[in-house]
Amino acid sequence: MVQKEAKEIILEIEKDIKIKEEKFESEIAHEVTLFAEPVNHLGDFTITNALLTSWVVVGIIIILSIALRTRLKEVPGKLQNLFEVIIDGALSLCDQVTNSRALSIRIFPIAISAFFFILINNWLGIVPLGGFGLIEDGAHGLAFIPFLRGGTADINTTIALAVMAVVGANIFGVFSIGLWKTFNKYVNLKALGEIFTKFKKEPTIIIVAPITFFVGLIEIVGEFAKIASLSFRLFGNVFAGEVLLASMAALIAYAVPIPFLFLEILVGVIQALIFSILLVVYFTISASDHDEHNEEHEEHKVSHA
Amino acid sequence: MDSIISTFHIDWKIIIAQGVNFGIVFVVLYIYALKPLSKLMKERGDKIQKGIDDAKVNAQVLEKTNKEYEEVLNKARKEANDIFQNGKKDAEKKKAEMLEQARLEVANLIEGGKKTLEAEKIKMVADAKGEIVSLVVKTAEKILGGKDSSYEAKAIKELNNL
Repeated sequence: MVQKEAKEIILEIEKDIKIKEEKFESEIAHEVTLFAEPVNHLGDFTITNALLTSWVVVGIIIILSIALRTRLKEVPGKLQNLFEVIIDGALSLCDQVTNSRALSIRIFPIAISAFFFILINNWLGIVPLGGFGLIEDGAHGLAFIPFLRGGTADINTTIALAVMAVVGANIFGVFSIGLWKTFNKYVNLKALGEIFTKFKKEPTIIIVAPITFFVGLIEIVGEFAKIASLSFRLFGNVFAGEVLLASMAALIAYAVPIPFLFLEILVGVIQALIFSILLVVYFTISASDHDEHNEEHEEHKVSHA
Repeated sequence: MDSIISTFHIDWKIIIAQGVNFGIVFVVLYIYALKPLSKLMKERGDKIQKGIDDAKVNAQVLEKTNKEYEEVLNKARKEANDIFQNGKKDAEKKKAEMLEQARLEVANLIEGGKKTLEAEKIKMVADAKGEIVSLVVKTAEKILGGKDSSYEAKAIKELNNL
């Protein structure tokens, strides 16, 4: 009699567990969110899955760099050969933008670092390890939060990179052409001063100088536009890729997402390349002295006359 | 602006953290990969360039040496030819001289021979004449019976008229 009751209780418990499991499975949802999901908290600081991916990227780059450093030989091995080919090609590409090997060598380290950081972040976002993650209570029931989300699929990362690119370019400009010339690109006091020095010689300067000064002010807005365009372009492309992959996998889980995976691998390279080339362009513009160009142009005009 | 921040969950702490991440990547890549690799590639490039330059210099030296060798060879050939020509000329001259000398000697020998022959002939003729004279005289004496000194004188005279 007691055994029968015990069996019934066990059966009821098993039934209950089964119902709960079914409910649990049906309620877990994984939505691709516009922002990186938090996976942990360190006091006030929120550790998101994108930040976690970036740390993995940093780890990969550190391991690769140390592996390369320890295996550096005059006759290169496979890893060294790969790096040499990449560096040689990237430096040649840099030369096409800067038109100067000396300038390329100065800009190259930061550009190639950005390239590798973005590339590995992009690729880690599409690595099919979406099964690893947390299940947490969300606003609409249980939610699955993957540990890996491409670092560049989080606007915070792309903003950090864009700010670094634009601020870095201006600092590079200060070191290349001087603080005064860099400052005059934005607040063109020199142009205003020329009203008094060149007025007798060129009366039109009274119109040209304020316009030049105003263009300088627009340049400041342009710098913020650069940050916005760099960050949102990279974020948009990478995030769109992740949404595309998730949608394809949701429609038909097998085989169909594979071509899109290859497409995203390609998009990852292209986006990293675009960001790096734009970074080189901004650095090159910052390092070029507009006054020198103008003076050269004027001298050229005079010599032709 | 606030809506953008809340929609995208923009968090300055995460921005700084990602900036730090990139900073670490930049420093590590620069120190452990780019700097030593660039140095190695530059050294190798310099070595290759030096090799190319050396090869160019060597090629120039080789070309110069070949030129000099050709010049020396041509000079030696010319000198040898000159020596040969001079030798040939000298030999021709010597030959001519020797021939002349031989001709002279032969001529002298012939002349000497002729002279000797002439002398021999004269002597022979004289001897023959003496023999003939004595024979004639003896024959005349035998035929005429007696000695006459005029016979000898006449015989000599007749013989000389021949």
